[in-house]
Amino acid sequence: MSLTRRDFLKLTTNALLWTSGVLGLGGILRFLSYTPPEDAPRELDLGPVADYPPGTRTLVAGGSALLIHDDAGFRALSTTCTHLGCRVNVKPDGFLCPCHGSRFDPQGTVLNGPAQENLPALEITVTPENHLLLSAPPAH
Amino acid sequence: MRRFLFLAAALLLLALLAAVWVESRQPQAIPLTPTLTGESEYCLTCHAGLDEISPSHPVEAFGCVICHGGERLALDADLAHSTLRGGANPSDLTVVEQSCGGSDCHSGSAADERDHIQRVQTSIQATYAGAIASTRYTFGAQPDLNARLGIRAIQDPHTATGITALDAFDPAQESSASLHAFAENCLNCHIYAPPRPGDAYRRYTGCAACHTPTQPASTGTVHTLTTAISYEQCNACHNRGNYDLRTMQFVERLDAPADRLHAYYQPIAQFTRCEWTLDCIDCHTRSEAMGDGDLHPSQADIQYIQCKTCHGTRAEPPITRTLTDPDDLAFRLAFLNPVLDLQIGDTILVTENGEPLWNIRQLPDGTYELFGKATGQRFTFRAVMDTGCQQNPDEQESRYCHQCHAVDR
Repeated sequence: MSLTRRDFLKLTTNALLWTSGVLGLGGILRFLSYTPPEDAPRELDLGPVADYPPGTRTLVAGGSALLIHDDAGFRALSTTCTHLGCRVNVKPDGFLCPCHGSRFDPQGTVLNGPAQENLPALEITVTPENHLLLSAPPAH
Repeated sequence: MRRFLFLAAALLLLALLAAVWVESRQPQAIPLTPTLTGESEYCLTCHAGLDEISPSHPVEAFGCVICHGGERLALDADLAHSTLRGGANPSDLTVVEQSCGGSDCHSGSAADERDHIQRVQTSIQATYAGAIASTRYTFGAQPDLNARLGIRAIQDPHTATGITALDAFDPAQESSASLHAFAENCLNCHIYAPPRPGDAYRRYTGCAACHTPTQPASTGTVHTLTTAISYEQCNACHNRGNYDLRTMQFVERLDAPADRLHAYYQPIAQFTRCEWTLDCIDCHTRSEAMGDGDLHPSQADIQYIQCKTCHGTRAEPPITRTLTDPDDLAFRLAFLNPVLDLQIGDTILVTENGEPLWNIRQLPDGTYELFGKATGQRFTFRAVMDTGCQQNPDEQESRYCHQCHAVDR
């Protein structure tokens, strides 16, 4: 059987269109299947209460918060400086921002600027399973 | 018709293949969401190996775009860089307000000492007002040495110097050929202007002119901001030759000094030991170098540090201040350049204008220690009082001190 020029063009055209269709469909599927990065969770499970005995100060949430367990119970402070968003260093007598030198007392209260606002307190709750839940630090 | 359909199908496939090819060449994006902006940016995809620009500007907090501009989500270099501010130097004074400004950053108030941008833009380093005034006066274009013009028009309605505005220097308005030559050959020495060609003059414009250590062109660009500015950085502008007022040409120095004492260009100048062993910023203050927020008529008008600032006179010791306030500017400056561990209760020197010389601390025995801001090196010295110095307390210009204390060159 001989292939005419017309048949050859028709066959090739169909092959090109099918290939284009498959490629285009792949692109559309890829577009439709895109899932944006998930927002940071609003609450973070810090694990069992027993992991944080009284008298401990523990950096949690990747270092973005300090969990304090003292006589008053559990509390947490953001470790993001309220000046320009640098991560403050935890010191025995409070917090020091390594970027511009703002200092905060152990309660997160500004001792000296340039920060003007205290380190925000973060909400800590205890679940029925006796786990600690940390509310996510607000965006700066 | 069938041939047309064939061609259209071929072109469609080619276009799709080209799209797949372009897509496959895109690098895998490295996202960063700085805490300060909260907006994702992809700059680290190509710039992950860049040095942190300074401890005060960590990339995790600042990112890149807040200072540099650019298209934060572009992965194509040309597109990503298409909206950069100031090219590679966002501190260029034409864009510095957008790059470095903001009340929490460098365009705060004079009261909180964060008005860096306003101070620099009104400083002699940016206006060049003194050189313009003296040259125009020399060639008869103005009747006195008062500053009227600057590199750019600028206003300072609250000035303490009486100069409320400078108009822009426009060579086209000048009739003197010498002033035309001045405009053509002598306007490299302000921080709006790019430097003269050559490694010896190499510096950036704007804030980076002083705060980014410059290297020979062969070593490329550095990504650094520092307050530890060595004398070599100052020398890129201040020690490279002289302007010849007869020809209005810059006469480059051609000698190759073997040591720092001889590196000072002015052949007849005299120097005491501290003038050539310390770095310029060990004595000269931020107001002298960066301006004090007011328009000044000349360099001489803003430069006020004298020998007595540190050494006092026969009649009185240098001015000191004991640090009691943790918000004292001295602590902030010492934090940015921690060459000494300044503490509450320390007594530091202050200038006649009240500027803290935070790197100079009084010792219990009444002498003083100075820490080099660029080197960290410790020096000790004493005041003039109760020594054999016979200098008249009213004669405090350096030339009087040089009569006894100049070193041989």
